[in-house]
Amino acid sequence: MSRINIKPLALLLAPLAVLTACAAGPAEGANEAPSDSGAVGARTVQQIKDAGSIKIGVFSDKAPFGYVDSSGQYAGYDVVYGNRVAQDLGVKVEYVPVEAASRVAFLETGKVDLILANFTVTAERAEKVDFANPYLKVSLGVASPESAPITDIFQLNGKNAIVVKGTTAETYLEANNPEVKLTKFEQYTEATSALLDGRGDAWVTDNTEALAWTQANKGFVTGITTLGPADTIAGAVQKGNTDLLNWLNEELVTLGKENFFHKDFTETLEPVYGTTVSADDLVVEGGKV
Amino acid sequence: MGSGYEVFLEGDNLARLLGGLWVSVSIALAAMAFSLVLGVPVGILMTNRRRWVRAVLQGYLQAVRVLPPLVLLFVFYFDLTYAGVNLSGQAAAVIVFTLWGTAEMADLVRGAVTSIPRHQYESAQALGLTPVQVQASIVVPQSLRRLTPLAVNLVTRMVKTTSLVVLIGVVEVLKVGQQIIDANRFDYPSAALWVYGAVFALYFAACYPISKLAGYLERKWQTA
Amino acid sequence: MDWTLVGDYLPLYGQAALLTLAVGVAGIAAAALVGLLVAALRYFKTPLASQLAGAYTELSRNTPLVVQLFFLYFGLPKLGVVISATQCAIIGLAFLGGSYMAEALRSGLDAVDRIQPESALSLGLTRWQALRHVVLPQAVAVAAPALTANVVFLIKETSVVSIVALPDLVYVAKDLIGNDYNTVEALALRVAAYLLLLQPISLAAQAWERSLRRGIGV
Repeated sequence: MSRINIKPLALLLAPLAVLTACAAGPAEGANEAPSDSGAVGARTVQQIKDAGSIKIGVFSDKAPFGYVDSSGQYAGYDVVYGNRVAQDLGVKVEYVPVEAASRVAFLETGKVDLILANFTVTAERAEKVDFANPYLKVSLGVASPESAPITDIFQLNGKNAIVVKGTTAETYLEANNPEVKLTKFEQYTEATSALLDGRGDAWVTDNTEALAWTQANKGFVTGITTLGPADTIAGAVQKGNTDLLNWLNEELVTLGKENFFHKDFTETLEPVYGTTVSADDLVVEGGKV
Repeated sequence: MGSGYEVFLEGDNLARLLGGLWVSVSIALAAMAFSLVLGVPVGILMTNRRRWVRAVLQGYLQAVRVLPPLVLLFVFYFDLTYAGVNLSGQAAAVIVFTLWGTAEMADLVRGAVTSIPRHQYESAQALGLTPVQVQASIVVPQSLRRLTPLAVNLVTRMVKTTSLVVLIGVVEVLKVGQQIIDANRFDYPSAALWVYGAVFALYFAACYPISKLAGYLERKWQTA
Repeated sequence: MDWTLVGDYLPLYGQAALLTLAVGVAGIAAAALVGLLVAALRYFKTPLASQLAGAYTELSRNTPLVVQLFFLYFGLPKLGVVISATQCAIIGLAFLGGSYMAEALRSGLDAVDRIQPESALSLGLTRWQALRHVVLPQAVAVAAPALTANVVFLIKETSVVSIVALPDLVYVAKDLIGNDYNTVEALALRVAAYLLLLQPISLAAQAWERSLRRGIGV
């Protein structure tokens, strides 16, 4: 899909929308000048600084990475990083809640400057957005009932694996174990309820998540603790926004020197995962795996 | 681990749920207000004698019914930026729900108008009323009565469909519920039942009075 | 638009469309039955049953299908009842659609003068006969636009069944967008699929509506 191809759809409905928009008064940012790349609304570091705030897309319901706490504040591993990015840019931060299915659209249309939403780096996604260097690495784990433990992924052939949509587990199994039937849910809690109710033979998810959950739930074990190669998670900017991308990569080097993500881990992930995982298994410092 | 309902006492969770409900209701009410204003004339036009007028409006109705609200939301929020129009999530949502509401409302108006027996038109004409007078004093008052319960269906349907707006970054009651469930999933594993129960009750609390009001209006107009 | 992608996705959408159609048709049939029963109970003001039907209508009309499905799928197992995702979807649609069908029928029934069933009863018809042969044909004709709108509405409502992991059109489209971000292809196919499903239904409904009107001469 190229950007040109989306236009007919927009143009088709544009007159209608323009009419409504005019009736409702001037649209916010309607006169924003497009950047050099011709993309919509991509902002350079200088433009963000001039505007005084950065828009960052984060998950609002994927604790402990990106979630909203009981007082309505954004929190989690990704958010601690986002706060630091804003601080070092010297601007305020505005968080925009995104869903797995809308992450790329938010970037492509300049609705956000940066996505920090547990975004796993894949070749397909790299065609749509530009990934910065990684700040986290994850591997998969498989939770299953103690009475019928899954200790090898091939035991799942022809059986039902529960996954959460938009997670690495989904993409990995589809590419590598197509014989495994997938039952997909939007939320972690839906996936765990389904496993408890016997609606699947196993739950494939980030190994951290599997370990933490099986520790808290009697009768279930993490039969496979590492599955497939470790994936990396990175921030993403609009395709062609090299200015912001370079800034982010340099920032990662600076943060690496102070072991920033180890502190982030202690603050946000350790309370949830406890001693089942060590920081070095997950954290990437300086943008280098 | 807490037992579940205590999750509401954590922080501002209860207030956040109510705030989310207000987001849903305010989008639906704004869209419904526009839909009522636009839907009545469009519906009357749908019964127009000219074939091309009917064809164009039918095309609009079918298009809106066939295109899922999700697609329309994506078009108005994201794709319009390519045409230089950058709408906020709320504005895009109100426009999309107005487009949908106007079409549905117009179709209801059309149904109500055409259900008025032909002899009434003929009698009115025989009495020397102009077409506008016929509409104003015979067709519209009768149609409105039949319309009310159906139009209320539409409001409640809208409130409930607003849960889609989270995809364009607007957080409404269902999403707040999911955020609470997720943020507390290790401390309150059974929070899901309680939170979804609360969301269920909140939707009911928002929609039920609207239904009752409509029922009241319906009875009042019938005796008038 | 990348047509090779469209080709790749087509079989997925075919299967999903069949599932959407199957769940939709079963759900609508069940909803129509529930709606007729509820409308009849309320029309004749059958004691108790009428109040129950009223309470059901309020509950169903004022809460979203997503939450109803969540209860059936995730709530019932806590009480020891595990029903499949497909069953949940059909029961959910019947629960939701029943009240919409009943309300549409009720507005039609109200449009028929009460004198008519009374005369029919005094002529010796049973209640059911009066409803079936005198009141209902007129009521259905008046309610036809609302009824057909409900059919289309319920087919579109099936879009939320993806939350109980049923691979319908929305599930497939969201999946493709979430993983590969070929948003335009995924959404275009989804619109095309709904168009192919809904257009014939919509046209048939309009034809039915017209024939009903001719039948009772309005």
